[in-house]
Amino acid sequence: MLERFCEVNNTFPKTSEILEHKGKSGLVFGWLCTYVPEEIIHAASALPIRITGHRQETELEDGSAYLYVNNCSFSRSCLQMGLRGEYDFLDGVVGGSTCDGARRLFDLWRYYIGMPFHHVLTVPRKYTPEAHTLYYSQVVQFKEHLEEFLGIQITDGKLRQSIELYNESRALLKNLYELRKLDNPLITGAETMEVLDASFRMPKELFNLCLNDLLRDLSNSTPTHQGKARLMVTGSVLTNPDFIKSIEDQGALVVTDELCTSTRYWSDPVVLDGDTPPLQAISQRYLNNFPCARMFPSDERFNRILELARDFRVDGVISQIIRYCVPYAHDLPLLTQRLQAQGIPTLAIDVEYGTSGSGQIQTRVQAFLEMLKVKQR
Amino acid sequence: MINAEEKKDKIDSLVRACGVLLRMNKARPDGRKSERMYYEMLANYYTRLQSARDEGKFIAAHTVFFPTEILYAMDIVPMHTETTTWMISLFTGECADLLSAGADLGLAPEICTPHRGLAGAFAIGALPRPDVMLWSNLICDNTAKSGELLMEVNHCPGFFLDHPFQHSEDEKKYLVGELDSMIRFLEEQSGHKMDWDRLAEIVGLIDRQIELFREICELRKAVPSPFHTQGFLELLTIDYLFPGQPEAINYLETLRAELAEKVSSGQGAVSNERFRLMSFFIPPMYLMGFLERISQEYGAVSVTEPFFTYWGEGRLDPSRPLESVAEKSYMIPEMRMYGPLDDRALKSIVSCAEQYKVDGAIYYADVGCRHSCATVKLFKDTLNKIDVPMLTLDCDVVDPTITSEEEMREKLEQFFELLEDR
Repeated sequence: MLERFCEVNNTFPKTSEILEHKGKSGLVFGWLCTYVPEEIIHAASALPIRITGHRQETELEDGSAYLYVNNCSFSRSCLQMGLRGEYDFLDGVVGGSTCDGARRLFDLWRYYIGMPFHHVLTVPRKYTPEAHTLYYSQVVQFKEHLEEFLGIQITDGKLRQSIELYNESRALLKNLYELRKLDNPLITGAETMEVLDASFRMPKELFNLCLNDLLRDLSNSTPTHQGKARLMVTGSVLTNPDFIKSIEDQGALVVTDELCTSTRYWSDPVVLDGDTPPLQAISQRYLNNFPCARMFPSDERFNRILELARDFRVDGVISQIIRYCVPYAHDLPLLTQRLQAQGIPTLAIDVEYGTSGSGQIQTRVQAFLEMLKVKQR
Repeated sequence: MINAEEKKDKIDSLVRACGVLLRMNKARPDGRKSERMYYEMLANYYTRLQSARDEGKFIAAHTVFFPTEILYAMDIVPMHTETTTWMISLFTGECADLLSAGADLGLAPEICTPHRGLAGAFAIGALPRPDVMLWSNLICDNTAKSGELLMEVNHCPGFFLDHPFQHSEDEKKYLVGELDSMIRFLEEQSGHKMDWDRLAEIVGLIDRQIELFREICELRKAVPSPFHTQGFLELLTIDYLFPGQPEAINYLETLRAELAEKVSSGQGAVSNERFRLMSFFIPPMYLMGFLERISQEYGAVSVTEPFFTYWGEGRLDPSRPLESVAEKSYMIPEMRMYGPLDDRALKSIVSCAEQYKVDGAIYYADVGCRHSCATVKLFKDTLNKIDVPMLTLDCDVVDPTITSEEEMREKLEQFFELLEDR
């Protein structure tokens, strides 16, 4: 079943599912950041997919020419793919004011690539009631803009259906992560990343079916994965499973992660209770979600990381930060300190988006694992 | 635990350096009166900080584009962290030490030098320890993310002012609420009450200040242009350090009168104006002298800076002081770079190029500034459509190891030749 996810990832963005959806005159909208509420796009009967960059680290001539070399390679990689027509099937792009890289990516996408529909949400950096009020108004505006563009009404009923579907994905992914808590996890970190990548590239209906199948297969499998140490990967956006594999090939188990393509994407469900209107519930969830480093105070993020470290019995953390990813780079000294206080060492690695884990990275991981081994004695 | 070193800060050096600059200005027969006033203001700013430090007065350290007017209205001594760090770096030559101290805190080289430097400056005690740290997300991730580490380094409380991204009514309301919360925080921390009458008065002066900025910009449209090529940095500093202060009004009125006189007598900032330039971002501080010299040598003058001196439209209403402080933040020229980079921002470039009869543009592409550098191609393409060439100079605003004077000269000379040939 894992092959199904790999196939999606290997053919993305022009996967058979997306092309089939377009073939039926379906609309596809790309989103740039996890603060964009996908459920609204889904409730408008369109397919939301996450815009990501090249699967492997690659030359970014166009991306660098347009976004300059000092923007993160994730933004440059995404833009390059857009400029080269790899996302030419999109009907719209939705961004958020989340970080400098994301907002400039949106700006240049709009200007140089152009789509029938563009929308950017102001995303407050706080969790105060006032911040929630503002973000809610932004979510309402986004919905109204989409309704106007499509000439439809996105009803509460449709929103509730989408929320339930997306929550099911989140619950299934949570079940998958439970398998990583075992002494001998039933799935590797690299394999998990294949599933995660597919989660924002496939129609959720299909993804849930496939993930259910995978979970069933895994639950019938024998634990085989062993490692010298249990690691968590944190930091910038990461979509290349080979990077995780390069760590695991050194004898480590990557048992959890704190990435906007992993736990920060799926952790928190939209809480639908009887009284809360669905749009309000969506808004609450997206602003309160497992935070990105952009949010204030940073301890909200740090505490969630510490919680993950406890739950998954993590021995060490690998912080991988894409060069020029300023929010995470700024958080690193304080995060390292918080982890250290809990006796958890951190290995900080500067990477470029798409890296598979070079020889140098492997050497540093090896040394880190050796250090953890000594510490465990 | 991250700790700031307990040692003598560098504010005394800044006071002395401002004094030297003042004396040099007075010694020059052609020294501008407004320039003298400018250095006096800087000297007073740092003398006030010096006294506050010595007398234990309440000091608020803040990042760029912060509404300092709030602090003035509460009788709190402000310390503009980026400007003060730049000045320490420039006047004491300790840039490498500050950056190295920033690196020792764990800040990566990709974090811009102003923010690595200022964190380092606090860590080694080059900046006085503040009573509170104030910061906002204007105008980039570096400012947004700087404060928490600085709170920890200085063992002081802090307030993060969350500035919304766009300009809707909901967002303005949110910003007013943020300002209000910050005032309550400051009242609690400092024991100083907000003087609302004083804030209203300051808002009235800021309104006047913005009018004067606009009038000065109008005068710079003259051919030849009357203001020297790096003059816009004075205007920036006035807004950074002295919003709504009477001495700022005096300075701007004096400068306006000087420029008006030059315009009426047909006198330009350079003896033979050949190239009228548009500037983007901040030139390297350590090359200011060189940039003035080459400006004179080639008759090249920066006449407009759309994102630094070209203020947005609108007036402030002193009877609604807090709303006006919020509104002012949207009128700051740099704000066109903050929200979505829409057609309005690009039209302002074209409009400035036409109104100021620009021959070419220079983009000082600071290697650490991501949000600005991402606009280099966009601005270049925008200007190319109206046949205005743009030179991109890779540099760093404070770190002299990134670009040398020779390199800068070579590129500028080639660009001036290109302009000459057109």
